Amino acid sequence: MEGASAVSDRRAVVVAVSLAAALFLLDPPPVQAYIGPGAGFAFVSSFFVVFAAMLLAALKLLTWPVRGLFRLARGLRSRRALARARVRRVVILGLDGQDPEVTDSFLAEGILPNFARLREEGSYVRLRTSFPAESPVAWSCFQTGSNPGRHRVFDFLVPNRKSYLPELCSARVSASPRALRIGKLRLPLGRPSIDLGRKGESFWKVLGEHGVFSTILRVPITFPPEKFRGVMLSAMCVPDLKGSQGTFSFYSSEPEGAQPYTGGIRIPVKVEGGVVRTYVSGPGDPIVEGSPEMRLPFEVRLAGREEGADAELAIGGRAYPLRLGEFTPWIELRFRGGLGISVRGIARFYLKRIEPHFQLYMTPINVDPERPALPVSHPFTYAVYLAKTLGRFSTLGLAEDTWGLNERVLDEGAFLKLAWLVHEERERMFFDAIEKTRRGLVVCVFDITDRMQHMFWRYREDGHPANAGKDMEGHRDALRDLYRRMDDLLGRTLAALDDDTVLMVMSDHGFKSFRRGVNLNTWLWRNGFLVLKEGEPTGARWYRDVDWSRTRAFAVGIGGVYLNVRGREAKGIVEPGEQERQVKREIAEKLSELRDEDGGGDAVAAVYDTREIYRGPYVREAPDLLVGFRPGWRASWDCAVGVVTEQVFEDNTRSWSGDHCVNPPDVPGVFFCNRKLGADGIGIMDVGPTVLNLFGIEVPRHFDGKPVPVEGR
Amino acid sequence: MFCSRVKIDRALLRKIRMYSKIAGYSSPSEFVTHALEKEIAILEEADSEEEIKKKLQGLGYID
Repeated sequence: MEGASAVSDRRAVVVAVSLAAALFLLDPPPVQAYIGPGAGFAFVSSFFVVFAAMLLAALKLLTWPVRGLFRLARGLRSRRALARARVRRVVILGLDGQDPEVTDSFLAEGILPNFARLREEGSYVRLRTSFPAESPVAWSCFQTGSNPGRHRVFDFLVPNRKSYLPELCSARVSASPRALRIGKLRLPLGRPSIDLGRKGESFWKVLGEHGVFSTILRVPITFPPEKFRGVMLSAMCVPDLKGSQGTFSFYSSEPEGAQPYTGGIRIPVKVEGGVVRTYVSGPGDPIVEGSPEMRLPFEVRLAGREEGADAELAIGGRAYPLRLGEFTPWIELRFRGGLGISVRGIARFYLKRIEPHFQLYMTPINVDPERPALPVSHPFTYAVYLAKTLGRFSTLGLAEDTWGLNERVLDEGAFLKLAWLVHEERERMFFDAIEKTRRGLVVCVFDITDRMQHMFWRYREDGHPANAGKDMEGHRDALRDLYRRMDDLLGRTLAALDDDTVLMVMSDHGFKSFRRGVNLNTWLWRNGFLVLKEGEPTGARWYRDVDWSRTRAFAVGIGGVYLNVRGREAKGIVEPGEQERQVKREIAEKLSELRDEDGGGDAVAAVYDTREIYRGPYVREAPDLLVGFRPGWRASWDCAVGVVTEQVFEDNTRSWSGDHCVNPPDVPGVFFCNRKLGADGIGIMDVGPTVLNLFGIEVPRHFDGKPVPVEGR
Repeated sequence: MFCSRVKIDRALLRKIRMYSKIAGYSSPSEFVTHALEKEIAILEEADSEEEIKKKLQGLGYID
């Protein structure tokens, strides 16, 4: 009996292990070689990756019959779902920030023939944007078909209620809280966590639950990537290898004297015997106490270079030609840290000048899509597939280096070269997705429309304060060329589609000029809602001047005003309830009358109480008020980083001269479709429900958007 | 990816299901996650100023 019992126990163990293995393979976790925040990135050795890959391969072989059954069941479900669909495929081409007024003016000039064709044969309407009209919020409304009260993305930044410091709203990366300390080594125990700040449910997840496959490329606020039936490449807010939103490096032999860069680091170099010896500033070493920076040495040889090149870059045992005014291809960078760990990233170099001073720019170090140190795609291997088949590409969320241009480290021409390189990578992915996804949904968002309008808007207005001391002619037609190239992209897209595909072309918001900055924190201080420790501003960043024990309201992000509420904020003084409502009313009334005498008029179009415009479980976490600026004004650069200044208003002299963070009804997006719409307009929250409806799927109750009728062929 | 499971009393689970719909969550899991996150936020330490600065560096919209 004992023997029989032992055999039975062994069988039970074998069955349990087999079942567990089968389930594991049906839902494999990503194998991450390197994950975590900035200096807190954690490493798993390459041995583990190889071991895990071999184990997965073996288990996959053993469990193919089980997986085959699941695949069959899923196929049957998919077939049933598609039988109800009125369309085989929907393709959504996202052009971030394409403005309807600019589009209309170019349509009138006749330089956008493909958009004109779509307008004539299908539809063209304004798209109602989100409140506020910012990409993270708008694309979250698009994804979830719901308002910010349900998806919890309210701005780029939201305050931490304990420290009052702003944090990224869209994703939170935290190091493993546990570590084993051995001398100077600090070995992380456990994986860091990466949490998606966006709540609610994406409409492609709903599609997937009904068996419809989706390919989602670079839709903002998809980091970390979610699991669903389809493939996804993450976008906005994917960090660089240093854990930042993009830190460029600028190597210069010019004597220092300028201020430190925002968005980058300056590394002084010397030219000695025709050679520059320097290093790449990498991420912090998470294994070593204090996370010292990992560095990768390299040389630039100005003599003895290959024909046609102006210099030679020697890095990681390889040599690359450098040409003045040209970006290199992606170059692999391998950093070695404590205990033999290594981490890989990629960067492009740009030789700006050799004489009289040597100047070399390096892009932020992107996560290498061939060996992703972070999960930047779903499944994890999708980024690897794209890199292997289409070539390496930028993975950074904000890939076009706007700070490089703002700081004049790059000039307009160099910025454009970089932005178009990123765009071409994206186009290759988009057309690959159209080719591979014959049924289902394809969404791809192109960012160049947004970035270029931010950086080149000043060329449209001779009197723009950002023009002072800058070229006003060289790129006067940059935006015209941009819209023409988008029209060309649309033409090639139309040619790649069949008659059974519904094509939607949309932007998340429009664009306006950004001439004057408004420091809302200064206004709150001057009106007694915010109190300073010293009584006067000192110019300190991150609210260091603020006396929280006497402050009733403060501004965070690009137009959000928060009350300092007792029980919600760490040092809150405003009583919830009537006092809270009264303070809010008082601020809203006064702000609505804000005039900028030097800037030519009223700065604020409307102030919105989020309790009135949002609904859903996260309303309490939203800014209490949203300021809808009139076109031309925006929250100032200082305001966004918690600096209280003497003056409320200032000229915006940055190259970043166009913006959309104004009153949302003033910056609608565009919506084109190759079918007739049964409505005069569409909201960004309606797009997902419209797609669900085309596939014959009922819109879930927690979606706010409503399907817009789309006529058949 | 597998999620950890926590045992919840059946009566409480019924309430979670009911109120998650009323409150507008997309699922009971989202409701439970939000409730727990709010409690954890009270206990958890905020990032340091240095850490915040590093993470936000390069975000085009702010200086």
